This record gives sequence, C-alpha cells and structure tokens, in this order.
Amino acid sequence: MSEQHKLPHEQIVKIKLNDEQMRENLSNAMHTLQKNRLKLIDEKFNDWQGLRERAKQAKNNALMSLNERLLEFEKNATKNGIQVHWASSDEDACEIIYELMREKNISKILKGKSMASEEIGLNHYLENKGLKAVETDLGELILQLNGETPVHIVVPAIHKNRYEIGEIFKDKLGSELESEPEKLNAIARKHLRDEFEGLKMGLSGVNFAMSEEGAFWLIENEGNGRMCTTASDIHVALCGIEKVMQSFEDAATMVHLLTPSATGQFIPTYNNIITGPRKNGDLDGPKEVHVILFDHHRSDMLAHEDYYEALRCIRCGACMNFCPVYDKIGGHTYQTVYPGPIGEVISPNIFGIDHTGDILNFCSLCGRCSEVCPVKIPLADLIRKLRSNKVGQGKNPPLGANMLHHNAAEAFAFRNFEKIATSGNLWRFSLSKAHYFNWFIQSFKNTLPVVKKWSQFKDLPQIKKNLYKELENIEGVSCE
Amino acid sequence: MKKVYLYATCLGTAAMQESVLNSVKLLRREGVEVIFKKNQTCCSQPSFNSGYFKESKNIALYNINLFEKDYPIVVPSGSCAGMMSHDYLELFKDDNNFERVKEFSSRVIELSQYLDEVLNVNYEDKGEPIKVTWHSNCHALRIQKSIQASKNLIKRLKNVELIDLEYEEECCGFGGTFSVKESEISNAMAREKIKNIQKTGAKYLISGDGGCLMNIAGTMSKMGLDIKGVHLYDFLVKRLEGVKI
Repeated sequence: MSEQHKLPHEQIVKIKLNDEQMRENLSNAMHTLQKNRLKLIDEKFNDWQGLRERAKQAKNNALMSLNERLLEFEKNATKNGIQVHWASSDEDACEIIYELMREKNISKILKGKSMASEEIGLNHYLENKGLKAVETDLGELILQLNGETPVHIVVPAIHKNRYEIGEIFKDKLGSELESEPEKLNAIARKHLRDEFEGLKMGLSGVNFAMSEEGAFWLIENEGNGRMCTTASDIHVALCGIEKVMQSFEDAATMVHLLTPSATGQFIPTYNNIITGPRKNGDLDGPKEVHVILFDHHRSDMLAHEDYYEALRCIRCGACMNFCPVYDKIGGHTYQTVYPGPIGEVISPNIFGIDHTGDILNFCSLCGRCSEVCPVKIPLADLIRKLRSNKVGQGKNPPLGANMLHHNAAEAFAFRNFEKIATSGNLWRFSLSKAHYFNWFIQSFKNTLPVVKKWSQFKDLPQIKKNLYKELENIEGVSCE
Repeated sequence: MKKVYLYATCLGTAAMQESVLNSVKLLRREGVEVIFKKNQTCCSQPSFNSGYFKESKNIALYNINLFEKDYPIVVPSGSCAGMMSHDYLELFKDDNNFERVKEFSSRVIELSQYLDEVLNVNYEDKGEPIKVTWHSNCHALRIQKSIQASKNLIKRLKNVELIDLEYEEECCGFGGTFSVKESEISNAMAREKIKNIQKTGAKYLISGDGGCLMNIAGTMSKMGLDIKGVHLYDFLVKRLEGVKI
C-alpha cells in the first residue's frame, strides 16, 4: 500500500469531485450495474432474501470455527498435493512469494485479478527486489500501464472510458489509437499472449476455499486468470484466512450470490475449482500449487464483537455500486486499498484507524449498502461504530485507535449539545436566540464554519412562527 | 377518543414550525387529541451518527422519561421516528435500560403511518390539478419504512398526479452532520438529485423529511430554479383546505 503519497483529505476530495469525466464514467457504470443486478434478482431468483440468510449463516459458521476450518483445509489440501504456507502479516506473505521466486530462479510472475495482492502491496515489494509482476486482468493491466491503483474491487478500471483506454494503449503499448472495445481487446490480447509465452509462475487470489475438500474456487470472466493458474509451472494462490469455508455446498451458495451482486450476471464466465497440481496422466496444469493463508489483522477483527461481521464479505462490490458517495468521488479518493462502504469498515481494521479513519466521513448513513450486501453485513451500523471508536468512545477499539488524535472541540460541542438537548428550558432559550438551528451553530462554531459551509451551496429556511404560543391556542392540544 | 404525543423533532421546533402546526391540524381533523410536551428537544441523531454514543444515550433517556405515559408517539419525520423506534434499540443493546427503551420504541410511529395505517383517513382534495414528484428520505425508506404510507396519503388526493423520480432511492446528501463535514460531496449529491427532479417536469417536490427538504430546496433556491420543495404535511393541509401552494 503506497501510503507515502497520501494527499490531505479535503484536497483529494476537491480534485476528484472536479474530475467530471471520471464522475460521468462512474455514474453511468454504477447505474448500469445497479439495473443489471435488480433485473437479474427479479427475473431469476425465487428467494433471494432466503439465499442471503443462508449465506450469512454459512459464513458465520465458518468464522466461528475458523481455527478448525483452517487446520482441516491445510490437512486436506496437503493430501491433495497443494503446498500450504502461513503468513501472519502482509510482509510475511510477500516474502513467501519472493522466496519461492528466488528458489526457482524466476524474475517475472503473471497475476490474475487479486485484491489480496493489492492489500499486501506485492507489486511494489517485488519491484523493490528487482522482480516483476505483470497484471493480466484487463482492468488491472490498463491501470498498471497507467501507473494507477484499482478504483473498485471488482471492476478496477471502471472510471476510464474506452477512449481514455485507447489513449493509454497507444502511449504505453505503441498501438494504433482505437476506441472500439473489440479492437482494444485485441491489442490487450496480443500484448498478453507475448507475456504468457514461457510463463513459469502465475499468481491468483482465492474466492472461496473449502476445508472439507482441501480445494479452492476461483471465478472470473476473462480467462486470463485461468491462464495464470494452468499455463504456468507453478501456481501461487493468495488467500485471506476468512475465505475458508466448510463445504462445497457453502461455497456454491456464495458463488450464487457473488456474480449477481457484482455485475448482474447469473453465473461467471469461468468457474475454476482447483484441487491440486497436475497429476500423472493430466495433459496440463501447474506442476506445483501453493496456497498462502494470510492473516493480516483478520484474527483481530474476528475477535471483535462487531467488526467480525465484515469478514463475511465476498468482495462483490455491490455496496460501492450502490453508494451515492462512491460514484461522486471514486475509489481513489479513499486512498486505501479497499474503497466504498466495505472499505470504510475493513480498511481501518486492517491498516489502522489512525491511517484510514478519515474515510469514515465518506458516508451519509443512507443505509443502502447494508440493504444490498448479499451476506448482510450491517455496513452503515459498523461505520457508525467506527466513528464512535474514532472519537474515543465504544468498547474494543480497532487497530491504531491508541494513535488517534481526538478532536477536542468537536467532543466539547457534542457535550454542549447533550446539555441543551436534555433540558427543555435551555432548548427553548437557545431557539429563541437565533433564527435557525441555533444549537447547531452554537455547538459547532468552534469546530467548523457551519453557516458558511452550509450557505455556500444552500439557502437557509426562515422562521416565521412562534410554535409554542400557537400550539397553546389550538383546541384539543394540551401543552404539558 | 384517541390521544397521542406529538414529537415535533429538533428541526420542527427550530426551523419548520409550520410543518409541526400542520401535523397537529391533520391529527385534529381526525379528532385525535394531541399532547405536546413543551420540554421536548431532539432525538439525538446528530450525536449518534457522529459516534458520540454516550451523549446520545443520555438524550434518549431524557426522551424516554419525558414521554412516560402509554400513548403513541407520533413523529412527522421518518428519520427521527426510525432513530427512536429502531436505532435506540441498537444503542441500548447491552444496557440495563433496554426493556424501558424497548417499551418506548414500540410506541413510536411516523405520522403518515398513523394517518394511513391506523386511522385510514379519508381525504377530499380541494386543490387544482397538479403534478408533483416525491423524494424518499433514506431513514424513512430503510429504517422506519414509512414511505409507502406517505405515498398512500398523496394517492388519496384525486387531483394530484405523482410522477416517479428516477433514482428515487439515492440519498440527497443531507445525512445530518455529513452535509456540513463533507459539504462539497453533499452538494454534488444534491445537484444529482435536482437533475433528476428537473427531468420529471414537476414544479413541486414533496417529501416527508425536513432535513432533506432543507437540503434540496435550499440548493434549488440557491440555483434559482422555479421548483418548490414542500413538506408532505404542509402539502396535505393545503390540498384539504383548497389553499394555493
């Protein structure tokens, strides 16, 4: 994670809000994804809500017995010939991959789409060691060529339109300037075919791992991920420990929710279930399969009375597709690997609330994310709880909370608000003193230039009535 | 004779008194007796949503003590009703006061739900034919679930044509302190909402939430548009009295 380049919160918001092309691209894309999802659920599912409940239970069962699941997975995967590695930190996970490359004398790996690799900062890590990681997912490839990070966890380059992509290909790959999707695809295909030739090591993420089978499930739409996992001699899969579930049936329930939620597709184009390396008589497949089970603060989350719920996340991105803030500012504004509502919950837990706590502001608590989340993560509630941790309240604070600087003026303002809101006399007194929302102005004048900020964009309502006096004159109303 | 508490909300006592008085009128015309606790203040949503749970709990307990008798607590706002009927339970989940809070919360109802579902009101529309569109407040939609009741009331008015608003379920950017802390994002959201309101061709935007109205109508007014934001309860009274909007 490249946090060293972080811009101040207000500055990045301004820059991205002013990027009209990005906002138009995002708004169009998000509304299409929303419509696709709603249409599919309406047409193809008899009991979507029941499926959500089942998925929530299946995932909770796995999380509540995670220790057992992980050991069972290790046992059965090993039996299948998969080599299982354990990593507690992001750096451990990177190092395991680096060591594997060094041991086999490999200087370049090809990657299928994996947010886990973004989370551990793999590309950067390898680059510092003089090694190369090449993205093969079309969206990731576009971003790698352009020196950007993913803007979305499912559709990483969704903020770019086809004309912009044509420009990037022309500049970075020296191709003709094109804007037709088919032609752009052909340029990427040719470029990647050259890269796939002689591929030694491929890397992938893991969508779901099944402990009873000792196998894992990968879904994708392009086929490039499958090239990484089958055409290479060695396949390395990066798997956060929360991805391990008990049974094949449980994982199937998840897959049924994942693609409809993500893109509005009934099923993904490719389902890859990986049970081990090439066996005697097999015509293809890698000779070695490695799985890296990494923690990176997931155990801390699991131990939390509330935030463990976010470990159910299946990375479908529905919460960001439906977030009215996300489509205005885009994923880069969050300046952390995981953007959108789920990012607001897991980024502070994984990277520390002291580093990423500012993104908790990117939420009007409209609750739409909680409503669409296929595994029923109460995202809005968790964001509110994290805000409480951020101001120094709440039990069991997340990573980095002890490094936070609390806003004393805001805390004072809310203590003042409490004082006024628990006294009828004070309340009426403060109302009588100002024309509009007096407590608000009084309370926040030391913290925020409230009136200025509000009236920059909006006119204020005017007060004409004396409420208490008028109420007393209405027959059938008793003022107590 | 039915007797209810009216919970005016902080915005109602501070800035939108007309809507509070019209809410009383709508209850009175059905013969409902209204008790107005003059020491009422705010439901604590601003502090709750900002993460100040300790302060919010004290305000909640203040309300619970104030509205002590067994009458329904009718709230002309889905947002504040949702806070008191649902979010209070979350706030007091592991608290000794939970049972008291639960009793209080079970009595909270949004005004349009009370009019539509409990009283099943009969409305004679005395206004001219008019086209309006509707903004759904997020908390009313997803927490209090009072939007259908609000729309049902509008549908009882025979001269009012309700035009669907595209992307109705998207937040207008108010979100209480959000609109102050992230005023520029909030403005971008309000502008998006207004773009869709303009597309309906309606000259009136009706909503059952004072905060959203202040946000959307305040922005429309700043932009110099000739679309008027009208609170649902002001709108209903004017239609029933045949007064121009």
